[in-house]
Amino acid sequence: MGSNDKALSRRRFLRFAAAGLGAASVAGVLAACGAAKTGDDAATGAAGAEATKAPVEGNKAVVELNFWYWDGSGQLWADAYNKLNRGAKVNFINTPFADTHDKLLTSFASGTGAPDIAALEIGRIGGFTAKGGLADLKSAPFDGGKYEKDMVTYKWTQGSSADGRLVAMPWDIGPAGVWYRTDVMEKLGLPTEPEAIEALISHTKGKKWEDFFALSQQVKEKSGGKVKMVADAATDIYGGALRQGGEGYFDGMKLMIEEKATRPAQLAADYRKQELDANIAWWGADFAAGVKNDAFAGMVIACWMQSGLSRDQPQVNGKWRVVPAPEASYNWGGSFCAIPEQSKNQEMAWDFLQWACCTAEGQNTVFKPTGIFPAYKPAWADPLYDEPVEFFGGQRAYRMWANIADNVASITRSPYDLQADDIVNAEMAKVMKEGKDPVQAMKDAEAAALKAIEGSTP
Amino acid sequence: MATTTFTVAEQKAQDRRTRRREAKRNVWAYVFVAPFFFLYSVFGLFPLLYGVFLSFHQWDGISKMKWVGLLNYVKLFTVDDVWWQAIYNTVWLFVVATVPQLLLALILAFIINSGYIRFKDFFRAAYFMPFVASAVAVGILFSSLFGLQYGMFNYFLSFFGVEKIDWLGSALWLKPSIVLVTIWQWTGYSMIIFLAGLQSINPELYEAARVDGADTSDVFWKITMPLMRPVILFQVVTSIIGAMQNFDIPVMLAGGTQSSAPGGTDHAGLTAMMQLYWSAFKYNTGSKSGFGYASAMSFILFFMIVTFSYLYNRANGRNLTED
Repeated sequence: MGSNDKALSRRRFLRFAAAGLGAASVAGVLAACGAAKTGDDAATGAAGAEATKAPVEGNKAVVELNFWYWDGSGQLWADAYNKLNRGAKVNFINTPFADTHDKLLTSFASGTGAPDIAALEIGRIGGFTAKGGLADLKSAPFDGGKYEKDMVTYKWTQGSSADGRLVAMPWDIGPAGVWYRTDVMEKLGLPTEPEAIEALISHTKGKKWEDFFALSQQVKEKSGGKVKMVADAATDIYGGALRQGGEGYFDGMKLMIEEKATRPAQLAADYRKQELDANIAWWGADFAAGVKNDAFAGMVIACWMQSGLSRDQPQVNGKWRVVPAPEASYNWGGSFCAIPEQSKNQEMAWDFLQWACCTAEGQNTVFKPTGIFPAYKPAWADPLYDEPVEFFGGQRAYRMWANIADNVASITRSPYDLQADDIVNAEMAKVMKEGKDPVQAMKDAEAAALKAIEGSTP
Repeated sequence: MATTTFTVAEQKAQDRRTRRREAKRNVWAYVFVAPFFFLYSVFGLFPLLYGVFLSFHQWDGISKMKWVGLLNYVKLFTVDDVWWQAIYNTVWLFVVATVPQLLLALILAFIINSGYIRFKDFFRAAYFMPFVASAVAVGILFSSLFGLQYGMFNYFLSFFGVEKIDWLGSALWLKPSIVLVTIWQWTGYSMIIFLAGLQSINPELYEAARVDGADTSDVFWKITMPLMRPVILFQVVTSIIGAMQNFDIPVMLAGGTQSSAPGGTDHAGLTAMMQLYWSAFKYNTGSKSGFGYASAMSFILFFMIVTFSYLYNRANGRNLTED
């Protein structure tokens, strides 16, 4: 063991020496080669863990942890944790959402380069839980099992592998509902109070999507067609109705596109046919311009939208209100934190991860300024959650999110999630843009997804 | 002569000694060229060979590699129609975007190089400018220009009574949008290369032709074009390589979001390189994606590039670099 440590550190020393000579990547490639040759993730993982403990035992103060997350708010955790002087310093690295999971995968494939703590998004988690690379947070030196009862149930399941390992700790969730703007509604002579809107469209008052259509019709008529209720039925209506049956198209390995997506697709197609949406694609420049031009009165989306909107559209801060969605509560998105087996400082990484995800203090550090909603239920006991929220014009919106989060249907994730998402989205585009029959579209999507994964063993 | 007869073995030993002496004499030359071969073998040769090796496997980057022989290639050639659609889109974009872009660049270079134009430096810089812009900036700029409801293009068209065009959303308009951005971004670069070629032509040849009574079109076809062939060959071959690996512009315009698939409606903007990247890094799992499958894709692309380049070379006749 001792000699092994020595050998490893010598090898590491040589690696740094090589780096000094301007050939750093040589070592990387050799390491990649080694990992590939053994092709055994467990072995490389174990070797990584062995090599790592020395610096932790030696001098706690010098331990530096790299933390990857795709939103600037990760810095909030790093700053707050570093102030506590718990023996490690967290370096937050802002990894763009489009790349962060790919980058993590590449570092697993090459056997080097993974961070100490990595955030993972719900849409990609299935690809990681089904395979190796991430440490099991339930087995020593970790003891994550004790947090099970504190976490939102479905989230815990999604972070666990089929064989019961916990590979990703729940961080935030995306309780969703209908958002609307009081200034636009007022201009149209429609009710602006959350209680009044809730009575019109929310599942808490027994209302269905048809009732939401009726309100949308009013918005359209009263504005002479200039203002619509939402931006894009493919996101607002389909995205919401689909997730009410639980996020994703798989239950375990069972594909359920036709079963789950047909009615949501029909609803969205109907909504578009009646010209109730503004036909503005989400997430782009057009969407931002749409908000500025009051082109739509609201949206059907999750709580995390607050973070970006308050930053990019400050002129409408305080004008938003939220009510529960029609038909059912649902969740859209959310993230996890995981410790890659490659991490050389797993013990301190675990210390940070526990503080961040599994304490009210850590979770609320990020939640308070951003609205990124904790999956850790004890955090909701904070008085913060009963306070009026300025962004929502003094509405006590956070308690509502918590109530929604407690009543969410969910199904497990699969490694084919992203592929299925893209296949269905491609068919949805045909429904929305070319008027394809939604029933046939989802039949085709199911067939295409089956074809894409046939002959595969996960 | 008879006194200096060597046996075969002696002759060979003699040669070996000569070679060794030569090697010793040139040792510094070897030292100086070594870094290239070292770096090439690490960054060029190794990944290439490793890619060949990978293409015979099924591998998601994390789990154990699984040997599948030629199965990846068999699947790509027989059942994967999205891949062939991506290949079709790639070739389509080459024909409709890259070829006109090269012709336009050649014409612009000829005009700027001619004596008729003032402010040459300004035009040269102006045409080259888009090439310098970063992919992200171009993406943001054009996705707002192409916007359906609030895009600048649709705003201008509205003055002429043209209905709103869904540039990036409809299968019909996505490809033309990509073509537009490709031509906008790459014409300047090709033009600079062509311009450099034009300026290396000895002006005495033009003067001699004028004296002999040649007109502009004679000069262009009989002097400029033949002498430009090596430069054109270079630019066409690099453009073929670039077009087959077309990635960043289509991704910026139709890379997919949480609520849309990469490549846009009907996969109209899905290029081969996009499909490859998504298979390797995004979908990753299963028998029709992952690093092995994507490596097989990359070798199909590789052979396409070699074939097109070779065909162009053949069509051009002799080895033109010897002109």
